[in-house]
Amino acid sequence: MKKEILRFTDVGLIYHTVHGETVAAEHLSFSVQEGEFVAIIGPSGCGKTTLLSLAAGLLKPSSGKVESCGSFGYMLQKDELFPWRTIRKNVYLPLEIKKQNTAEHRERAIGLAEKYGLGEFLESYPSELSGGMRQRAALIRTLATDPDILLLDEPFSALDYQTRLNVAVDVSQIIRSEGKTALLITHDISEAVSLADRVLVLTKRPARVSHEHTLDFDSPNPLKRREMQGFSGWFEILWKELNG
Amino acid sequence: MKHQSQTYSEEHLLFLKKRRGRLALIWILRLGLLALLFGIWELVTSLGLVDSFITSSPSRMLATIGGLYEDGTLFYHIGTTLWETLAGFAISTVLGYGIALALWWSETLRSVLEPYIVVLNALPKIALGPLIIVWFGTGSKAILVMTVLVGLIVAILHMLSAFIATDKNKLLLLRSMGASKVQILTKLVVPSSLPAFISMLKVNVGMAWIGSIMGEYIVSKAGLGYLIVYGGQVFKLDLVMSATLILCILAAGMYFLVVLLEKLLVKNTEQ
Repeated sequence: MKKEILRFTDVGLIYHTVHGETVAAEHLSFSVQEGEFVAIIGPSGCGKTTLLSLAAGLLKPSSGKVESCGSFGYMLQKDELFPWRTIRKNVYLPLEIKKQNTAEHRERAIGLAEKYGLGEFLESYPSELSGGMRQRAALIRTLATDPDILLLDEPFSALDYQTRLNVAVDVSQIIRSEGKTALLITHDISEAVSLADRVLVLTKRPARVSHEHTLDFDSPNPLKRREMQGFSGWFEILWKELNG
Repeated sequence: MKHQSQTYSEEHLLFLKKRRGRLALIWILRLGLLALLFGIWELVTSLGLVDSFITSSPSRMLATIGGLYEDGTLFYHIGTTLWETLAGFAISTVLGYGIALALWWSETLRSVLEPYIVVLNALPKIALGPLIIVWFGTGSKAILVMTVLVGLIVAILHMLSAFIATDKNKLLLLRSMGASKVQILTKLVVPSSLPAFISMLKVNVGMAWIGSIMGEYIVSKAGLGYLIVYGGQVFKLDLVMSATLILCILAAGMYFLVVLLEKLLVKNTEQ
């Protein structure tokens, strides 16, 4: 039995503004095992990003418990590379923030960048890279501190369709070959089905898990999965659950 | 998109040549326009079509500046104004940046001070002239204070709005890494507001000139503003025009220095 790395137990969250309060989540429970790739899909405006903020500890739940063991890496919709830093310096950023900026850690991070094809771009600025390469650099930056669990907040949604498929393959390969646990949040059903081991479906606000599926594909490759027989079946099931 | 040294096609060389030609033409026209204006000015005054006692003329301005140079006061007046302007510019920039940082840091401080800053911004600083004279005397110090006052509030507001406009997603990214407020400041807020800093410098150069000349109008014994006021009082329009011309040249020079600084500093802020 694999170790549980993240657990939400009966989590509720209330947002307060001057105009009133919004119940963003209620009785939200799920867990993520070590090494798993979990995708969470939900209707737009169901508070997906809120959920990641809760997981990363940036927000405290109003009720219930969020427990995690291990460190987090956060990847956002856009790459959010700092334009005034070279790719190398961007990759170093989390090391500087976490005061781990030692030769050993820097070497490890640059090793990752080189392994995944960013070696020749290390001294380039983000504006000199294509959208796909930038997102790859953002992933390497996320991996620089060797986090135990990756939180992916629709990391492909800002890319055009062609790039999106390629980057999904990229990211999936890198995450799986580095043996990382990942929690992906998306509104794109086909993305969830092509990437994840397990899919959780969220309800409209207040968010809670309505369905949960373990996907039975025999390949983790997103492009291959899209061609497999089971793909459209899963798509249909999830589509109905999302809209039902 | 790496820059490569390579041999260009004929067409590209032609394109570059055309572009250089056009740039040269623009400069010739610019200088030509200046020469034309001064030429007409000189002509109409020497022909007696307009009274050069009222309008002065390029040759009379040249003679006036030569006169100032000969009696050794030219660089004294220029130096006085330049010093007041530069020192006022430096102090208001540094102080404004610092206060803006403090206001960014503490939302409470910002909320409390907001109405005061709004009022100070709206207040015409020249209204404080008599107070400044009483408090700081009639020397360069009073003018320096005026210069700082004119630039300070603008510098604060300019930088504060830039600090507050820091990209929310980049803030989220840093917070998710566990960044402290100091780290957020040094790694993100300060570097990302560099273009705003440069534009603040550009605005503040103009403000410093307004402050120093206005200060010299109110109280002074030397400086270009003093020459202009004095010249106006004794009806020496040659002196007024000459000092104004020197001011134009100095203000333009200072502005171009800031533009040069911008080229050095801002290289990779485009997304």
